[in-house]
Amino acid sequence: MRIKTDLPSVLKYHALVIESAARDAGLDFFDVVFELLDAREVNGIAAYGGFPLRYPSWRFGMDYERLQKGYDWGLSKIYELVINNDPTYAYLVRSNSLLEQKLVMAHVYGHADFFKNNVWFKGTDRRMLETMGRHAARVRKLVDEQGQDRVDCFMDLALSLEGLIDPYPPSREAGSRSESGAVLSERRLHALLSFGNEEEPKPAAARFAADFPVADVLGFLMEHAPLERWERELLSIVREEAYYFAPQRITKVANEGWACFWHSKLLTGGLLDSSEIVDFADTHAGATAAAPGQFNPYKLGLALWRHAERAGQDLFVMRRVHNDVSLINAVCDEEFVMRYHGVRPSDERRAREAGLNWTEWRDGLLAQLTNGGQPRIRARSCDTKSEGELVLEHLHDGRDLQLVTAKATLDNVAKIWGRRVELHSQVAAKPVALAAENGKVEQVELSA
Amino acid sequence: MASPLYRIESDHSRFREIVRGRIRQDLRKYLSSGELLGRVGDGVVSIPLPQIELPQFRFGENDGDGEGGEGQEGESGGDAKEAQGQGAGQAGDGEGNHVLEVEVDLDDLADMLGSELELPNIEPRGARQMESEAGRYNGVRRAGPNSLRHFRRSYKNALKRTIAAGLWDPENPMIVPEHDDFRYRARRVSIQPDSSAVVFHMMDVSGSMGAEQKQVVRMQAFWIDTWLRRQYKNLEVVYIVHDAAARVVDSHTFFHLRESGGTKISSAYELCLRQIHERFAPEDYNIYPFHYSDGDNWSARDTELCVNLLRDELLPRANQFCYAQVKSAHGSGQFKKDLDLAFMDQGHVVTAGLDSREDVPESIRLFLGSGR
Repeated sequence: MRIKTDLPSVLKYHALVIESAARDAGLDFFDVVFELLDAREVNGIAAYGGFPLRYPSWRFGMDYERLQKGYDWGLSKIYELVINNDPTYAYLVRSNSLLEQKLVMAHVYGHADFFKNNVWFKGTDRRMLETMGRHAARVRKLVDEQGQDRVDCFMDLALSLEGLIDPYPPSREAGSRSESGAVLSERRLHALLSFGNEEEPKPAAARFAADFPVADVLGFLMEHAPLERWERELLSIVREEAYYFAPQRITKVANEGWACFWHSKLLTGGLLDSSEIVDFADTHAGATAAAPGQFNPYKLGLALWRHAERAGQDLFVMRRVHNDVSLINAVCDEEFVMRYHGVRPSDERRAREAGLNWTEWRDGLLAQLTNGGQPRIRARSCDTKSEGELVLEHLHDGRDLQLVTAKATLDNVAKIWGRRVELHSQVAAKPVALAAENGKVEQVELSA
Repeated sequence: MASPLYRIESDHSRFREIVRGRIRQDLRKYLSSGELLGRVGDGVVSIPLPQIELPQFRFGENDGDGEGGEGQEGESGGDAKEAQGQGAGQAGDGEGNHVLEVEVDLDDLADMLGSELELPNIEPRGARQMESEAGRYNGVRRAGPNSLRHFRRSYKNALKRTIAAGLWDPENPMIVPEHDDFRYRARRVSIQPDSSAVVFHMMDVSGSMGAEQKQVVRMQAFWIDTWLRRQYKNLEVVYIVHDAAARVVDSHTFFHLRESGGTKISSAYELCLRQIHERFAPEDYNIYPFHYSDGDNWSARDTELCVNLLRDELLPRANQFCYAQVKSAHGSGQFKKDLDLAFMDQGHVVTAGLDSREDVPESIRLFLGSGR
């Protein structure tokens, strides 16, 4: 599938000017294709995670409603939407002013550079536009065969577990995943599809020959759960798309900061007309501001990159290797934290006395961003002797799981696994285990 | 590429369908529980649908309760608390623990009520053209509140003035805005015609009406307003309470007041009539008086006065008069019998008995089922 692009000539001109300025500055990206859409269309595409074509699900409709409401009430507006693909696609909102379009385009070249060069994106499918289209076609076919309700039902299960992947796979794995996982080869697809058709399940011991612990729980389920073929296919689609989006989750701060850093540098470096400076400053400040207590990845990311620049670090190397956690770890020092909080050098002592502890602040931030902000859960073991009970463990980092949703989610795991599933965690500093089986979830005593 | 919207629209309507299905399933429960009353905003009601969002493992508080007992999802205590948090803050979405609240237009809710209770649409009687305002913040003016200040325009004005006055210093580019520099966003108003109606909720607050009776009244009033608001663009609601004397109150007082003392129903009807004379001309308004009482009146003579007032004054001006009698420990229930007798062959007087919350749907059907 291709998006036909026909930008008005003014925008095309600015796109070319900005693109060449970006290349001169050292940015390196796939071709960028801009598409001009009205706000409603952008919301529609944003609800699909940036893709014009995705499999049907009411959940996207829910996201669309939220976006559309926010827009209608003037609370939120999407300025930019860019998808990691080769060529890189980006959408411009028709109602934006020319200055806003220029800002967004410069911003997009920053993202495009990050997508192409950052190591965490190395394994991502660069033909995702086509892949999504293929997935959509497959799911529609399955809807025809199985009925909307059955597909919806299973899709809800699968989507509920989409976070159970490993967003930090070792890079060698990331490399190989692009062949085996992200783009299913014919042979592998065939092997997968025929898996569910085997008449006798293999002996338990042979079935679960995985190397525990397994962080890619979804992958484990896909390979070993007793699923029908179409179910397995849906699960693999959900997992593949989750892996595609995972790097964006763990590099949100770095990626947005990088894009802000560059749109600011490029535009104020000569691409703006003097009549546009005030508008630019206002728009830029709007995007990179945060109310007290609010977390804005644009603001944090921009501050990090600027601090790294002041420290004379090699920004291009950094954007190649870092995710959010490692970037903060590498850049954050006391001076940064003070500046970030608006503390003047002369006031630093007072700020410290008032309780601003920079290591504490940094560590809190790191915890918040680890694993894209989600609890880390992996499969610890699988009982190979008896019924095949699966044990998951939550790697507790001081923050408890919300038990009500954890139970509902575990119930979904058990529905897919088809047997008993346990989750071990901690609540209020005490070990806690949940067990799900046959649609019932209960808290169980941990046998020491 | 065709418009990218048709796919998302089909997913969106599927989502709405699911939401509607859930709410319709629970509508009877909502009708007799009063749960939605506190959730009404401007034209919408937000309904918590914890079961619709896909569960995921996430961080969150557990109210210090690590023991069992909250096995069922959607446990009420926890939900109510989370829902409140959501309403107050609407903080960054996706994070933290929140129950999905779906906003449903009151119009949609009314439609569901209509189809559940098979209510007919109302044929408006008088059709005065009310003018209502609709507008958007798309203008700019020179005065306004700080919350609407247009920073960029104000700044530019100040910048221009500073440069024109020769005070601009590139080394120290400080701009001090003056009063005349400020600009504010302004709402542009357009006028639209409306058909209008007024509802009178008259309630007996004499000693015998207890908290439960008032809650039943409250639920009934909520659903009646919801339905009538769907039928008329402009609906005004007047609350009247009475014991031996009547007065107009605001809605909060209406639902919380507890008086004691005697009951003179005619006082309420007289006040209602006076309101109609003074504020709501029958040529301009569709008029709906509702009266709620436990059925005890001061005297037979006052009841006679009430009947006369109704027959001669109120009924000729109103679309329909409705009387709901709530059951209380002390009430005799005589008033309903008297009304039924006096207006046996009068379709414009509808009476209903409300023995408990479960009767709310049925009495709504009685009141609104005639399409007047």
